[in-house]
Amino acid sequence: MPAYFLEIAIVLLGLGLLMVDAFATTLDRRLLGHLGIAGVAAVLAGLVFGVDSSASEPLWGFYATDTAALFYKGLALVCTLLVLVLALEYAPVLESYRDGRPGRRGLGEFLCLPLFLCAGLMWMASMTDLLGLFVALETVTITFYVVVAYMRRNLGSLEAGVKYLILGALSTGFLLYGLAWLFGLTGQTNLAAIQTVLVDWKGDTTPLLFTMALLMVGLSFKVGAAPFQFWIPDVYQGAPTPITAFLSVGSKAAGFIVLIRLLEPLLASPIRHAVLLMLGVLAGATLIVGNLAAISQSNFKRLLAYSSIAHAGFLLMALAAGQPAGGVSPNGVVALYLGTYLVMTMLAFAVLVIVRKAGGSDELTAFNGLSQRSPFLAFALVLAMASLAGVPLTAGFFGKFFSLVLIAGAGQWALLTVAVVAAACGFYYYFKVIRCMYWNDPVSEAPPLVFSQLTRVAIILLCVAVVVLGVYPKPLTCLLAP
Amino acid sequence: MGTLNGYLLVSGLLFTIGLTGVMVRRNIIIIFMCLELMLSAANLTLVAFSRFGLVNGLPNHHGQLLVFFTITVAAAEVAVGLAIIVALYRAKQTVHVEDLKSLGG
Repeated sequence: MPAYFLEIAIVLLGLGLLMVDAFATTLDRRLLGHLGIAGVAAVLAGLVFGVDSSASEPLWGFYATDTAALFYKGLALVCTLLVLVLALEYAPVLESYRDGRPGRRGLGEFLCLPLFLCAGLMWMASMTDLLGLFVALETVTITFYVVVAYMRRNLGSLEAGVKYLILGALSTGFLLYGLAWLFGLTGQTNLAAIQTVLVDWKGDTTPLLFTMALLMVGLSFKVGAAPFQFWIPDVYQGAPTPITAFLSVGSKAAGFIVLIRLLEPLLASPIRHAVLLMLGVLAGATLIVGNLAAISQSNFKRLLAYSSIAHAGFLLMALAAGQPAGGVSPNGVVALYLGTYLVMTMLAFAVLVIVRKAGGSDELTAFNGLSQRSPFLAFALVLAMASLAGVPLTAGFFGKFFSLVLIAGAGQWALLTVAVVAAACGFYYYFKVIRCMYWNDPVSEAPPLVFSQLTRVAIILLCVAVVVLGVYPKPLTCLLAP
Repeated sequence: MGTLNGYLLVSGLLFTIGLTGVMVRRNIIIIFMCLELMLSAANLTLVAFSRFGLVNGLPNHHGQLLVFFTITVAAAEVAVGLAIIVALYRAKQTVHVEDLKSLGG
């Protein structure tokens, strides 16, 4: 089966579920979520067992099915699966912020839209043409506008939607203007053809540098790199929590896929050094801003937002190294990092969804005494926080370790120092959460924490993944080879 | 018909006007219009490069193809964006960025 059948299957699944939502008026909307989960799981099985990567000839030059593309497709599918589980768990909160009769408050659409996001992410993983890359990226971004502002009776959600809309459209403007210049300079829209032109670039490099700057500004917004990270905390705080989880993993992965694809021709051109320098500066600034701002946060969602900025810094640092070192390649480290980041971030958001549903708050104080209210959830969150901080024997360790190896191999000692200090800062604010759970007393008459068996299974699987990938990262290290 | 540099200058000006508007203006509708101006600037750049970058005596059709897609994408963005702005207005009775203050840590 050619790989693009997977995207077609996901889109058909989404459209089918929307039809069911429109016409089956008496149906319990949760069933749509379960159907979506089953469908995504089936497509994931298809990706693992049924894809013939040599069978995509009808889309020559448009559509790559290399290892990286298939890996990012898998990442998108796993992410969507977990977001749907969280969305089902979050349904009561979502419905309380919507108008209409019970059962007709848009839950059905909320459960279908992640599927279209997933299809956009999967396309993006494979696109090797400016046109396809741009359209796939916009499919994802525009769908995110809808779901971020989905809780229409919640001012926070609306404000987050408007902020995301304006800054997302601004970044699209920069990116598109950059793409237009890239097309103008090379006369091509295919990335391989662009690379051929840029390798032999003999003329003035000023227009190339201008193009590179436009593209970098646009993509820095998308991945949340300083100084273009200011929208992230507000949007993450206001969006419905399952969507925040999707933004933090999916949107970041999307930005990095596009960045990696566009960097390839630029790094082969005469402006290679300028590109690496700019990436290094962005990485350093992002590491500093993300980690220092996270320290003072008292809202768990904002803490995770700054944490995602800090992780973007480590990812950019791996790319800024620009060359393989110690048997690992920058693109491979980014893939491994995003894979482990998915597991630990989703685990943290799963616990947050349950606590938010019971206590009505995202503040860190809502986690006080969680170890007494639910030892299981407290343990899961300890694993997630330890992994995000990068404790050895958890999944998060290897991503940070390999990006430090790369930057040491490239001999960029200033950036290495910043990264080590940033990683140390991380320990402080992640362990602040653990302190709340184990050392602070719970609020009296705290409501019981209820969650479905499905969520319990998902949390157990994520915990196992965090530990297994930390001890035995073999399943992901095959990506690392230069 | 002008020169390539002329068209690039105009599109650069459009882009700058749009960007300035986004940063200076406080009304979300006007900010949104300025964003559309930036996308139009990019489209003009694409069309100009396409018209002046002749391939075998014909305009380079790759760029024009890209313009069709960006126009469609921009239209979708406007549809969603205006809906969100209307929802905000109905909830808050305002479309000024200074009034968006309910988020923060």
